[in-house]
Amino acid sequence: MNLRTTDLPVAPPVRARTSLVATWFAIAAMLMYFAGVFGVYLKERAQVRAEGSSWLPNKVTIELTQPGMVIWTLLISIVVMQWAVYSIKRDDRQHALLAIGTTLVMGAMVIVQTAWHLSQTNLVADEGPTTAATLIYTIVGSYLVAIVIGMIILLLIGFRTLAGQYGSQQTDGVVAASLYWYSLVFIYFIIWIAVFIAK
Amino acid sequence: MTENQTETESNTDESASRPLELGGLAGTFGTTDHKNIGKLYIFFGLTGGLLSLVLHFLVRIERINIGGTSILDFGSSNQYFQTWSLSRTSLLFFCVVPLILGLATYIVPLQVGAPSIAFPRAAAGAFWAWLIGIAMHVVTVFADGGLGVPEPVTQFAQGMDPEATELAILSIAMVVIAILLASITLITTIITQRSQGMTLFELPLFSWSTLVATGIWILTLPIWLGNLMIAWVDFKGDDALRYGNVANIWDQVSWLWSQPMIFAFAIPILGIAGEIIPVSANQSQRQYVFQQIGIGTLGVLSFGAFAQPFFNADVGNQAVFVGMGLIVVLPIVAFFGGLLDTLAKGTPKISAQLILALMSMLSLLVAAGISALHVSGPALGAIQEIDSDWLGGIIDWLKDLQGTVIITAVMEHTLIASILASIAGLYYWSPKIFGIRLNNNVGILTGLSIFGGLVLSGGSNLLNGFLDESESVYMTNAYEGVWDQGAVEFFNIIGLIGSILLVGGISLAILDLTVSVILGKGDTQDAGDPWNGHTLEWATESPPSSGNFSEPPIVDSERPLFTSGGIEQ
Repeated sequence: MNLRTTDLPVAPPVRARTSLVATWFAIAAMLMYFAGVFGVYLKERAQVRAEGSSWLPNKVTIELTQPGMVIWTLLISIVVMQWAVYSIKRDDRQHALLAIGTTLVMGAMVIVQTAWHLSQTNLVADEGPTTAATLIYTIVGSYLVAIVIGMIILLLIGFRTLAGQYGSQQTDGVVAASLYWYSLVFIYFIIWIAVFIAK
Repeated sequence: MTENQTETESNTDESASRPLELGGLAGTFGTTDHKNIGKLYIFFGLTGGLLSLVLHFLVRIERINIGGTSILDFGSSNQYFQTWSLSRTSLLFFCVVPLILGLATYIVPLQVGAPSIAFPRAAAGAFWAWLIGIAMHVVTVFADGGLGVPEPVTQFAQGMDPEATELAILSIAMVVIAILLASITLITTIITQRSQGMTLFELPLFSWSTLVATGIWILTLPIWLGNLMIAWVDFKGDDALRYGNVANIWDQVSWLWSQPMIFAFAIPILGIAGEIIPVSANQSQRQYVFQQIGIGTLGVLSFGAFAQPFFNADVGNQAVFVGMGLIVVLPIVAFFGGLLDTLAKGTPKISAQLILALMSMLSLLVAAGISALHVSGPALGAIQEIDSDWLGGIIDWLKDLQGTVIITAVMEHTLIASILASIAGLYYWSPKIFGIRLNNNVGILTGLSIFGGLVLSGGSNLLNGFLDESESVYMTNAYEGVWDQGAVEFFNIIGLIGSILLVGGISLAILDLTVSVILGKGDTQDAGDPWNGHTLEWATESPPSSGNFSEPPIVDSERPLFTSGGIEQ
């Protein structure tokens, strides 16, 4: 039997993946922002150490317990966010919402742990402001702002999912939010190594 | 179903798919139509241009008496610096960038055949954030804020208010975030909203240049934002140490106005000239892909976020910086050569936009040439084998150009070239944007005035660079060691005449726009497609109605209206 192309069912229209493309560019901008401040941090740190001085003031203590908990929280949040994507692709809005809500809670946990960690480091208390303190506050503070933006996006996507905007036919919003969230985990991984572990 | 019923349902569907259009103030403030947003950018960009060129004129007045007292009685060198730095920030962020964004926001969706810009509310939000940001920044400078001061006696020196300075940093950060948001909407539109049949290699050159420019801005402006945030965090502390110290703020952010980064704001010049010249010559552009490669190469060579002298004092002598400075001229020469070839093979019609486009390309070429000259000292010095006294003397002389007003000459040529190109675009697309043709003679006069002003002002900076006039003209010791004080002052008087011409030129453009568009005196005859345009924006009515196209166009060429059978609706 000869099959003509006109006998085949009509292909679904190609969907312009506008949200995903815009998210990739937003992530690129955010990564470049952090690349810039990390560049300054590493350059200044190398210069101070090359002069034989200590980068962090003597009384500063950077415990690794809280950053360790944050990194684990974020790693688990990747799985949870992927659960949201998995669920929405199967029209399982209930589980998608549960996953988005759980990620939101994890975001709040990251903010609380990071803020408490900064308050314990003694960065400016005894020796006054230092260049190290300025740069660490800038990096970690910017990261917290990025987390808050991520939580606002998740909240918006959650409401839209609740309203039935996303489902197996339209997953872009949830996928875009998950991409942004994964990039946040990647950035914290760099902070964890370059700022907290390497000190 | 009767015929009438079908018609009624069809009308209902059509009206439901179109956004609600409001008139008056509500329409202006609440608009999400890319065409209205584009017009708002253009209007405020021209206003910002006038402000920045008036500030440029004030700085020029001050520079004619280099060793003596302040002519304009700024009060302190700090206030002089604030005027000087505002003239730079305003030229870039309040004039060049909004003019480019305005044209791109209006034209790019039409050129790619899209019914709207991607994320129209984000595009509108970006415009209002930009406008509020620039308004706040200007106010903070007049309230003794600004991006630091050069010679603080104390942390809070004369002519410097800490709260206004903090707001100045935050407001300019807001402007940058707005520009990033606008860039993301534009680049997303180009990538996802193109017509059927339009590949990236069939993008019109203006849209292609917008893609490259916004891509580079997205990759570099966040780094500049990072510099600002570091300065702000330090400034907020009890005792700013280094980054937030008011004497250092400008030094950290000044790389945006230096080569190679400054060329990132010149990329759309190539796109605008690439649209106007083939249409004026009634020829299709030959070697189209090579023209696109030229624009892309300029984009790559303008990635200047690594060249931050504050953190890397020796960057001016490093191979990558020197190499980029030397070869940035090549894509511009190749692109301009391609355009001139098209012009020579066609039957050019002399018009304001053609003259303005040629002037903008020539200015950019000169900027790239000066850039090469600026880095030629370290480049020649790297050749260790040179064993000649006279050649060594020349190399030393060329090396001395670093840190002089020759950097200002590169910036001035590049940014004024962008203004020339934007005004060229305005004259070319005015029938599309406003439904009227701007006055051709006024356009030519505008071009001559701005180009003449650039030759005098930019040329005097180039010559004074050879005489060792420091780029930091606001410093009290800026003129120690100049070769000939009288010659420097003479060239600065020439530069002052140039700045008057620059102010006159942009005033003429604003006047023409006011008379032709606002007062309705412009020529409306044949406003649909007066130039026989080649690209898709000319395939719809002028100005386009909501939704842009009655049917989604299908194209199979980069110049669908020039090649026969290139468009289907």
